[in-house]
Amino acid sequence: MIPRIALLGNPNTGKSTLYNRLCGLRTKTANFPGSTVEHQSGRCAVGDRGEVELIDLPGVYSLMLEIPESRLCRDCLEGRIGDRRPDAALLVLDATNLPRNLQFAASALARGLPTVVAINMIDVARGRGLALDEAAATTQLGVPVIAISARTGEGLDRLRQALAAAGTPTAPRPSPRTPYPHSQVGSPESMRWSATVFDAIARHSADPAPDDSSLHDRLDHAFTHPVAGLLTFAAVMTLLFAAIYWLAQFPMDAVDSTFGWVSVNIVDVMPAGTLRDLFVNGIVGGVAATVVFLPQIVLLFFLLALLEDSGYLARAAFAVDRVMRRAGLPGQAFMPLLSAHACALPAILSARVIPNPRDRLATILIAPFMSCSARVPVYVLLTSLLFAGEPLLAGIAFTSCYVLGALAGLVTAKVLRASLLRGPSSPMVLELPAYRWPSLRTAVGVAIERGVMFLRNAGSVILAIAIVMWWLSAYPKASPDPASVALHDRAVQLAPSDPAAAADLEADATRLDERHQQSESFAGRVGRTLEPIFAPIGLDRQLTVAVLTSFLAREVFTTTVFVLAGAGSEGDAADSGTLARVRTATRDDGTPLFTKPTAASLLVFFVLAMQCLPTLVVVARETGSWRWPLAQLLYMTLLAYGGALLVYRLFETA
Amino acid sequence: MADGRPTRIPLSQLARGQRAQVECSALDSLPSEHRCLLAAMGLGETCEVRVCRTGSPCIVQIDQTRLGLARSVADKIMVTPIAAK
Repeated sequence: MIPRIALLGNPNTGKSTLYNRLCGLRTKTANFPGSTVEHQSGRCAVGDRGEVELIDLPGVYSLMLEIPESRLCRDCLEGRIGDRRPDAALLVLDATNLPRNLQFAASALARGLPTVVAINMIDVARGRGLALDEAAATTQLGVPVIAISARTGEGLDRLRQALAAAGTPTAPRPSPRTPYPHSQVGSPESMRWSATVFDAIARHSADPAPDDSSLHDRLDHAFTHPVAGLLTFAAVMTLLFAAIYWLAQFPMDAVDSTFGWVSVNIVDVMPAGTLRDLFVNGIVGGVAATVVFLPQIVLLFFLLALLEDSGYLARAAFAVDRVMRRAGLPGQAFMPLLSAHACALPAILSARVIPNPRDRLATILIAPFMSCSARVPVYVLLTSLLFAGEPLLAGIAFTSCYVLGALAGLVTAKVLRASLLRGPSSPMVLELPAYRWPSLRTAVGVAIERGVMFLRNAGSVILAIAIVMWWLSAYPKASPDPASVALHDRAVQLAPSDPAAAADLEADATRLDERHQQSESFAGRVGRTLEPIFAPIGLDRQLTVAVLTSFLAREVFTTTVFVLAGAGSEGDAADSGTLARVRTATRDDGTPLFTKPTAASLLVFFVLAMQCLPTLVVVARETGSWRWPLAQLLYMTLLAYGGALLVYRLFETA
Repeated sequence: MADGRPTRIPLSQLARGQRAQVECSALDSLPSEHRCLLAAMGLGETCEVRVCRTGSPCIVQIDQTRLGLARSVADKIMVTPIAAK
């Protein structure tokens, strides 16, 4: 059994950077055995060919607070959660803020677990004139202390050696020079202990770095200002999405043409038939329709990680706090709601940071209104159909989707807090980390991790759905359409005299057959049966099936549209990209599948609808009953349908 | 400070740039979960704060830590201003 080491520290100490640096991509999100609590754990190479399992616990200011994160840390350290206690702890302290961090260290070390202390950001602290005596720190704290910089990699080799030693059964318990204080972090006794230890291990050079606090003050003032702060936030977010939209088009084209090239090669080497059809239209085409959006996802997480690392987001939280307070939400809801723009699942779990239960429930209920990354493929597809060749308008429509989702969420929160969830909400207290140049390495790490998760999903669930959708649209095999048989006969008659005209007729006959097959297949029958429900918002039988399947996961919509609307047109898939193929798809009567009113109505539908089964499951788990998620599903679906209906009618009359 | 003794005032009434000492039992009117969190974040009894921004949020610096506080929290923290050196 490999040693298990718990990673502990205050928020903003660079704990995640260190975790990513130590574990790289060898990390996974899992539940603690026998519980529903999620955690990140990863394998980290230590010592000479050794290995330990690192458990990334949430950053907390104290282990004794009555908040879920503190409780989680206590439960993990005491073995109440998971199958066993960790063998050791890795404590991350911020070198630029040692007095406070040492108090946390004392409370953690007092628990008696073999521990290694990593004093992070030593490079920044050194730049500010701090000199740290590692040997003295080791004596004072009674455990190995190593000064590191998780960003530059300084000290990490020695840290790995120390972790190897701490993971062995004979690792020594902490034994400090001055006994650890008994009282909590922040108590006068704890502050005195930390001041004594700090004086013994660190000293400021006579020539301290220039004081930049007045610049900090001015930036803080601007970023948290009621007007300037909000305008800055709006500008930053607009730039963020514009950059994603613009930058992603290049890799998207590359992905698209790669899959196109694969299809052409399959068509060349495989004999025509069911198997080739499955590969080209089911597997390659279906997966391509999702993977083509990978660049968007990766860029979104990359840029968000840069913003968070820069220190800006904590200020933005205060700027947005005023707006959220009007909607009856606390400032603590900002981070969950912002991360809901990536995915509602982690957002709903992170709503645990909100102490007030009514605030927390309101946040959980509106989180799915935020435009998650699974909606990005659908937005991209529909906005580019809506405004083909007009990138500016498409970009504005794209941003409007985010605004519409956020507004719908805030209005819903307001209504909830005034009715079902009445009561005061708790005020905001938040640490504002120092501004700094964001680390590219950290952001790249986050982006790769998210990209791998997305691909893993595309390779499993979405691949399976693509194959099932292909099968549902290819079977049962329909008898030939009488109209196409007639065309075929005429083509045979014409062939000797006019081969070109005969070929045209033959192609028409094939198209008619494919259309007929589509309509008579299982998917076609389901779509035709339920079409009347969705016809008022402009959907035909194919789009009806696409909307129904996207309930499993929104991004499946693009896959289904591709497989259903594009099936049988191998030549097209090879000649043109995924988007072009969808754009030229037609309905049974030959009219375009996507008209402007249909694209607009679907866009509104996807902004507002709760098209996500996993979210419902997590909401049920977090709220402890199926009452809330079912109400949420009903409310969001009705709202989405109503909104889509309104927009469809507006576009039709315009 | 007419009687020569320093006066206790709410943190929210300090001017920008002003320094003050957080007094014993200065956080008593806050709910206990807030009191413990603030102390753990560095804003505990006897610590010295510098005001970086007034209003809402009120931003204070304690040693190297910057905390943003909602107005309603800053109103309930009692401090003694330290005369400018």
